[in-house]
Amino acid sequence: MSLTGIRAALARGVERVTGTALGPYQAAVVRIGFSFTWLGFLLREWPHRRELYGPDGPWSWAMARQLISGNGAFTTLMWSDGTLWFECVYLLSVISSVLLLLGWRTRASSVLFMVGVLSLQNRSVFMGDGGDNVVHLMAMYLVLTRCARVWSLDARRARRRAPAGGGAAPPRDVTGVALWALLGAALVVATLVPGVSPGWAAVFWGLWLVQALWWAVCRHAPRGELRTVLDMTGNLVHNAGLFVIMAEVCLIYATAGWYKVQGSRWQDGTALHYPLHLDYFTPWPALSEVLGSSGLLVTAITYGTVIVQVAFPFTLVNRRVKNVLLAVMMTEHLAISVVLGLPFFSLAMIAADAVFLPTVFLLATGRIAGGATARLRARLPGGGRRGGGDDGHPRGEDGDGHGDGGRDGPPAGDGGRREPRTLVG
Amino acid sequence: MEHTEQRGTAPPAGVGALSLPARVAVAVVLGIVTVAALAHLTLVFLHVAPENAVSARHREVVSGYVYPEFEQNWKLFAPNPLQQNVAVQARAEVVARDGGVTVTAWTNLTARDAEAIRHNLFPSHVNQNELRRAWDFFTGSHDERDRPQGPRGALSEEYLRRIVLSRIGPETASTRVRKIQVRSAVTPVPPPVWAPGADGTSGSGDRTDGDRSATGTTYRTLPWWKVTPGDVPGTGGAGRAAVVGGP
Repeated sequence: MSLTGIRAALARGVERVTGTALGPYQAAVVRIGFSFTWLGFLLREWPHRRELYGPDGPWSWAMARQLISGNGAFTTLMWSDGTLWFECVYLLSVISSVLLLLGWRTRASSVLFMVGVLSLQNRSVFMGDGGDNVVHLMAMYLVLTRCARVWSLDARRARRRAPAGGGAAPPRDVTGVALWALLGAALVVATLVPGVSPGWAAVFWGLWLVQALWWAVCRHAPRGELRTVLDMTGNLVHNAGLFVIMAEVCLIYATAGWYKVQGSRWQDGTALHYPLHLDYFTPWPALSEVLGSSGLLVTAITYGTVIVQVAFPFTLVNRRVKNVLLAVMMTEHLAISVVLGLPFFSLAMIAADAVFLPTVFLLATGRIAGGATARLRARLPGGGRRGGGDDGHPRGEDGDGHGDGGRDGPPAGDGGRREPRTLVG
Repeated sequence: MEHTEQRGTAPPAGVGALSLPARVAVAVVLGIVTVAALAHLTLVFLHVAPENAVSARHREVVSGYVYPEFEQNWKLFAPNPLQQNVAVQARAEVVARDGGVTVTAWTNLTARDAEAIRHNLFPSHVNQNELRRAWDFFTGSHDERDRPQGPRGALSEEYLRRIVLSRIGPETASTRVRKIQVRSAVTPVPPPVWAPGADGTSGSGDRTDGDRSATGTTYRTLPWWKVTPGDVPGTGGAGRAAVVGGP
């Protein structure tokens, strides 16, 4: 390639990562997947919430404080040992999961989601497993992304306002301002409480101030250059965040696979036999027995698991092979969910895998879900409202099926640049 | 692809259309974001990779960055899956109402976890992780002669005590618990009957971890621990939580 060719390619690349929030459907499906997983987990553990994370559980508040004073992990549960405070935090984590799932004021709800996840998990680190670990990481990464561009209440609001907002100033966003003020007040209180590290305080205040800046710029200089620069910054951070999410998934599989290669049981093809006979991983003993009785099956799954995990990162260069492996991995996680009794771990892994799903597939899924929702609405009394559906997608995106795994975002992604975005949307 | 590229270059609001200060600003942001993402991934990679010259040399930088929020462990069933069932059992020295002191039989707390998990589509972390990981925490923070290693050792003992006291009933019903003792019962999972060398005649030469002939249960019994009312969590199950203290 000639020097000018390289420069042109580089310029095109810069235009894309600054001008577009790539992979909007992938980001949305990761958002929905993880908020759904965590919400399901919180609801399932509702009867056990005090035993897992409460101040008077087996891992008591005082013990947690000893451990956390050593490692400095972030958790709001250390601010008070009151049961009422604990209940508030748990409930807030449930609510923020619902809000993130729906994509309501996502810039704010994703931060609240992260606060909830970190607060509960860091409070009782010995209660978690691999699934909690993935949720923990992704909750942080999601804050960086513009993950509510599609399939969200934020996207629906932006779409509804778009025709009216044509060239005029954006309508007043009372809810956004109120939410921002409320969170600011909460932040003042939180900063006064000893226990928030300066690093975390800086993160939260930074995010809060950026929202104010974005609001002010959109309101007073929606055509200005500063707005373009800020928008490009948002895109850059989103694209980097999505890239980190994808790299993290590769790291997970690479680590899981390469360490297995070194294990004698994975080498002799019997590894799967052992978890099928562990008390903690056999919710369905008869099923485990049937699975484990076939030497051929156990050997095939044992080898297959290692091959798929080691191979996955390398298959990203080939779309078709990658999609086949993705389907295999998701199927395996579905099986793990039942056979080993790890539904939330499996759900979290499937949500992580979903970042590599092809845009065509996601669009088709969205259309099916949209159709089902519309039919359901039409049947409900007073249904058939127009313009509903958080599943609708911006115009001009059907037909573009080339996008893939965040590397080829849909072309309409630049629509967001012209639409004034809400304060915390 | 074609029209993606067209759109990528067509909008007049691209980087090229910006003023020089704005372009510099975007370039600076691009640089910072790129460096930050790559630095993050490099440090996380060094954290999950096997120890090597680079990670050994920069150990403090890596762990200083990764702990506590980016900590991760993906050695899922690797390098080898666990090949033994580890059951945690407990018994108590109790004082009856008439003042008589007795020792209860061993209660298999892990068996209760297994029972709660069985035929459950959504097992709870309370049954899957709590006791299992508490025992791992204990063994990981104690030496072979059960002496605690550092402050984590003491914490793990307290944790184990509290879990046991919240679950040990009904064996301790209508008595007061003075002391408890915990032991683990480790039973190896026998290799599959269809495995090479399962008949014990061949093929076991490279099996370094675990003797396939060992099928018996081995016990690790901890010393008796005195307990106080403060050791009983407020979340113990009805009829399960111990009553501690008294005369």
